Amino acid sequence: MKKIMHPYDITHETDMVEPLDYNRQSRLKDVDRSFKAEITNIIRLTDMEKLFQIRMVDDNDWQRFTFLPGQFVMLELPGYGEIPISFSSSPTIKSTIELCIRKTGKVTEALHRAKRGGIVGLRGPFGTYFPMEQMKGHNILLIAGGLGLAPLRAPISYVIENRADFQNVNILYGARDPSNLLFDYQYEQWNRIDDITLQVIVENPNKAWTGPVGMITKLLDDVTVPPDQTYAIVCGPPIMFKFVCNRLNAMGIPMQRMFVSLERRMHCGMGKCCRCNIGSSYTCIDGPVFDFWTVMNLKEAI
Amino acid sequence: MLYKTIDKEDLKNLIDVHLHDVECIGPRQVGTNAKGRPLYQFLPVSSFDDMDLDYDTTEYSAKTYFLPYKEVLSTFHFDDSGWTQDITYRKHPRIIVGLHRCDINGLVKLDKVFAKEFHPNPYYLSRRGNTLIIGIGCHKHCEGGFCSSIGSDSVTHGFDLFLTDIGDRYFVKVGSDRGFNALNKINVRDISDEDRNQYLSNRNNFESSFKKTVKVENLPNLLDIEFESEVWKKWGDKCMSCGSCAMVCPTCYCYGVTENLSMDFKKSEKTKQLYSCNLYDFAQVAGGHNFRPARETRLKYRYYHQHRGFVETFGQPMCVGCNRCSRVCLAGINPTEVIRDIQMEHGR
Amino acid sequence: MKYLGIETQKPKIAIFDFTSCEGCQLQLVNKEETLADFLAAVEVVNFREASSARSDDYDIAFIEGAVSRNDEVKRLTAIREKAKVLVALGTCACFGGVNKLKNEFEMKDINRDVYGKNPKETLWVRSVGEVVKVDLEIPGCPVSKNEVEAIVRHVILGAPFTFPVYPVCVECKQRFTSCLMEKGQLCLGPITRGGCNAPCSVGGTGCWGCRGPATDPNYDSFFAVTADRGFSKEDVAERMGFYGTFQEVQNR
Repeated sequence: MKKIMHPYDITHETDMVEPLDYNRQSRLKDVDRSFKAEITNIIRLTDMEKLFQIRMVDDNDWQRFTFLPGQFVMLELPGYGEIPISFSSSPTIKSTIELCIRKTGKVTEALHRAKRGGIVGLRGPFGTYFPMEQMKGHNILLIAGGLGLAPLRAPISYVIENRADFQNVNILYGARDPSNLLFDYQYEQWNRIDDITLQVIVENPNKAWTGPVGMITKLLDDVTVPPDQTYAIVCGPPIMFKFVCNRLNAMGIPMQRMFVSLERRMHCGMGKCCRCNIGSSYTCIDGPVFDFWTVMNLKEAI
Repeated sequence: MLYKTIDKEDLKNLIDVHLHDVECIGPRQVGTNAKGRPLYQFLPVSSFDDMDLDYDTTEYSAKTYFLPYKEVLSTFHFDDSGWTQDITYRKHPRIIVGLHRCDINGLVKLDKVFAKEFHPNPYYLSRRGNTLIIGIGCHKHCEGGFCSSIGSDSVTHGFDLFLTDIGDRYFVKVGSDRGFNALNKINVRDISDEDRNQYLSNRNNFESSFKKTVKVENLPNLLDIEFESEVWKKWGDKCMSCGSCAMVCPTCYCYGVTENLSMDFKKSEKTKQLYSCNLYDFAQVAGGHNFRPARETRLKYRYYHQHRGFVETFGQPMCVGCNRCSRVCLAGINPTEVIRDIQMEHGR
Repeated sequence: MKYLGIETQKPKIAIFDFTSCEGCQLQLVNKEETLADFLAAVEVVNFREASSARSDDYDIAFIEGAVSRNDEVKRLTAIREKAKVLVALGTCACFGGVNKLKNEFEMKDINRDVYGKNPKETLWVRSVGEVVKVDLEIPGCPVSKNEVEAIVRHVILGAPFTFPVYPVCVECKQRFTSCLMEKGQLCLGPITRGGCNAPCSVGGTGCWGCRGPATDPNYDSFFAVTADRGFSKEDVAERMGFYGTFQEVQNR
């Protein structure tokens, strides 16, 4: 008698054998496949943070890999685990991607011990992004608190590389103390660019510190921008972006033109595992970039 | 949809004949509880008679045959030159017999998450594609079930065959070509007027025997307004955060991923484990911050996802009203009571 | 890990027993399928039950058992000074275990019952952590070899190692158990830390709580649930006191 059922082999589905696409959003793919990527360079930023320059091992894969500022990848360290990390570099740089990583758990600790030439895995990119296209022709406020400079560095680089597309750019950065400052070797470069102003503030200065002291909102005292011609990107802990965005709102900038990046612990990156749920939204597919009005309406976001 | 009838004896023949080439899962009695009520589970059977298709409900839903509690997503192999990643999907055919409407509707809801929306999931799809589903209409009330209140007391798709008991034979809804071909292996007849009338009268009796016990239409709105309600504290104080409700639920699909290195350091398995939003560290992030450290917030979240989040995305609640979560909850947290409490709060 | 350029070294491990049944040590030589790999990953320098090696030069000291005598305090303090990583192995080491039942009685009565006419000087039972600083704990009666292996991998490579924060119920459900409480048995599953894969409840015996409390257990609800099911306060207290693992609530 003929069998009632035959094995169904999903790997024979046409979608599965077609060329890969990294977003894997609407096609049936090996969703768990991590693409091999080499750590080409490691830059020590502080005692806690390092910047990893990474590029995919396979040239074809690498050529097809694209992302947008604000998106994240799932970074795989086989044997240790997989973690979501925001891009710290601009997609227009084709040589490597850059990931700024703080030592906070077992996976990141292992990564901090890794050497140049190490091979990690990448899945992604995932999530929403800062609408750089929509921001073109406007003034831009780029505001970061603490580790928030890591994701903010992607739009900063993007704005610098596409300088002609934007009006005045203000970069404001606040950190707890001077030893926490990320990317300090780049400040002068950013500041020298025409109509880009960088201001850095710390809460606990040391003796060598000559800059302003206080909370990040203090830097906004000196910022005058036409509110209807301005977009803002604010990255940092919830308490920080709440204060900053409320302040920007008082300055008259529409809440739909302020963008924040939320942090949750994704396990899948594809809207399945639910670990990053906020209200009815998934940080991994509806975020991590949200406009502030949406965030105000998300339960538990702030 | 095509409708057919088959003799009951023929269903038995169909299953028994094919048991050697395909795994068959069905409702089996596994014991009784303290009150003497029989307990059933969906388990592999070695003959048709192992099953009791007259069961009222099972302790566990059949979701684990599609979303196993633990599943290896991929395996990394290490050698001197680096690592490689192996990914395999389950491709053994399987028949599940005896799913009730609630459970089939549960699968239809899981399909929305794993099979249709973007990022289709091959692990799920492979299992779904390898499973023939023969559903059966329940004809007695399971304790506290509220399927009719939540719209999952009828089923239109998501199965291959769906049986309704009409005396010595089954009235069969044919839901797929696979089901159609399976039927053709046995004596199958077109339905007669008598079959149809018998089916409709059974269906009517079934429908009229159900009372609506809870109203869910206003929940998306209410859950938002009552986010800070004291009701959550009342139920949260009872909750032991044991995750049992999510484990037995036919639609709860949250999970976590861990990696397990072998002792010889030659391979590492990336393993998915079904989790529950009620568990303490569900929303904990790197560095230790926990976005939902309180039991009541986690409990609230389960309701919020089922009755608001899912509705926003898919236009229907995730809950199918099977009431398994209530039966498994030692602390007596009962979804109909929780929902009524929220509605009372609103009425005040 | 070679692919990351992380070098691995072979830690020297030593196993020491204190007041215990020595069943946890025995677990270390269990799980034959990975035993050779386990022994290849470490260098056993002191393990009375399974090896003739006796060395005082070690990286990881596994301490089995509770502390109940003065000479044990001295020995443990000396081990702590030498060990880079000190692991409390098993429920007795982590919580005091069944030995803690002693603390419920009068010292002179115990001494008479145990030693008769030749009394010895003993102490109230303490866990290892009550005497010296403990770096890692593996609870369980007995310990699970899987968790011992995971701790060793963690020490060697920094591989993730986390105890589940959730209660035993999760794994019990994931093994399709019919709830024992529903069948009329007392079970500490809802308040006890998981990770054991629920062997007792799956086997038909309610949980005795050997792994200690889950993270943020809901004791009040658990007491209400057990009372509601007709278990007396005394029965519940006796069960929770058996391993000495629930003193945080019992002393409340």
